[in-house]
Amino acid sequence: MKTLIIAQRELSSFFYSPIAYVVMALFMVLAGMLFRPGFASGEPAEMRILFGATVWVLIGLAPAITMRLFAEEQRSGTIETLMTSPVTDAQVVIGKWLGALGFYALLLSPTLVCVVLLEIWGRPDYGPIVTGYIGLLLLGGLYLAIGTCASVLTRNQIIAFVITLVIILVLTVVTHFLQFLLPPSWGKAMLFLNVNHQYEAFAKGLIDFACVTYFVSGILLFLVIAAVGLHSRRWR
Amino acid sequence: MIEVRQLVKSYGPTLAVAGIDLDVAAGRIVGILGPNGAGKTTTLRILTCFMPATSGTAKVNGHDVFRESAQVRQCIGYLPENTPLYPEMRVDEHLHYFGRLYGMNRATRVRRINELTDRCGLGQIRRRLVGQLSKGNRQRVGLAQAMLHEPKLLVLDEPTIGLDPTQITEVRRLIAELGEKKTILLSTHILPEVERTCDDVVIIHQGRIAAQGTPDQLKARLRSRGRTRVELKANPVEVKKALAEVDGVGAVATTARDGWCIATIDAEDEERDIRPAVASAVMSRGWQLRELRHDSPSLEEFFIRVTSAPAGEVT
Repeated sequence: MKTLIIAQRELSSFFYSPIAYVVMALFMVLAGMLFRPGFASGEPAEMRILFGATVWVLIGLAPAITMRLFAEEQRSGTIETLMTSPVTDAQVVIGKWLGALGFYALLLSPTLVCVVLLEIWGRPDYGPIVTGYIGLLLLGGLYLAIGTCASVLTRNQIIAFVITLVIILVLTVVTHFLQFLLPPSWGKAMLFLNVNHQYEAFAKGLIDFACVTYFVSGILLFLVIAAVGLHSRRWR
Repeated sequence: MIEVRQLVKSYGPTLAVAGIDLDVAAGRIVGILGPNGAGKTTTLRILTCFMPATSGTAKVNGHDVFRESAQVRQCIGYLPENTPLYPEMRVDEHLHYFGRLYGMNRATRVRRINELTDRCGLGQIRRRLVGQLSKGNRQRVGLAQAMLHEPKLLVLDEPTIGLDPTQITEVRRLIAELGEKKTILLSTHILPEVERTCDDVVIIHQGRIAAQGTPDQLKARLRSRGRTRVELKANPVEVKKALAEVDGVGAVATTARDGWCIATIDAEDEERDIRPAVASAVMSRGWQLRELRHDSPSLEEFFIRVTSAPAGEVT
């Protein structure tokens, strides 16, 4: 319950600043531009290009969404009032992450217009569209969990942004190249760690249990690290 | 209400709190006094469960701050130093948010916020953004927030810092009003604040309790150390010589200012009033006398004496 109260505050706090609206507007323009070329007669009625691009856009977007979460509270001192109120570390971490996830879901929601357009003008295959959205939510959830974790570690938003960006780049770009550079057995491990590789199944319209497990356990891992980081204040 | 035993907190090699014992009875207003960096904020943060102590125990309302932190936090209202608030929220939203975190239902929140609106003077600013408030108004919001869930214990860290004299008076009045019903623990380094608002004073210096008692008790411990001050028209060297010969006079210090000589005299025996003897010595020499008075010690003097001595040496 308190988790949701915190999530609600976080979500609404995004909208107190004009930046949220600017980001949403830019994302909508971008989504439109990516959707338009494929939206022509003769082209398949699908949203693959849009989804594929969103995966890349998220690399820069997710850190920007989460960098504020804890860093700002630690800088301004509100963390003190928050943590001395009767809430647990886990409630705070999950609440803030849910707030960020909510904002991200709102960011994605205008793309539903594309689904409507596809329905009106063609006969879309809903399988890949639904799994694509599920995949995007899981992938975004993972990136936001990484960002939440990074934000706990510092009181500087820029540093939080950079830490998140670096971890995401390791999971997307670095592991991609390492799979070719390392011996095959290690390369396989790198491929497994690669976020884009794990997302592929969703893009194809599959809900692969292994991929879901990858994202869910990744989210849990980073949220636990964040909660432990927040709790470390109470050590000794 | 508060029981602290041998509390120690170190930040790496730095000892911030070096073994504090403190008891606060319910219904008292206790002021923690100390120079900057004495360990006031650290002590309050431990009591409010923001950080743990390195060793020692602390209990609030019968609950241990380490093991039963949730219960402790529920019964404390805490206003941290510099009143941290979310600048992007409106005053109303801010109060409601924290009310919800403390598990208050909507009806209770509305009732309490309305009560506090009158009490803390929030009427004009309830719809304003916190970020646009003046320092004094922020303080009112912070106080209202700390009192929102009707805590048994109110912990205020430097509640009047950065306020103008009118606002300071206002906050003091509020604290005094509240003190009738609640236990209040406040930290400050402003002395008049303690003298006027607190029932008990605890002076912390270098992480230890240097002195403890009611303001009057502390002053009484200094009273005998008052000084006699004389202002007269004469040569400072002669004055020093003449006064030193007076029976009962200890050290004499003289300074010249605008043609007048100002002599500060310590009595040899602190119980004895040396003013009549000094007066007659001055009269017998025919010096022109402008002022003769006894300065009784202030809490400020006591504070300076306590905090300038190395820790642990003051009795």
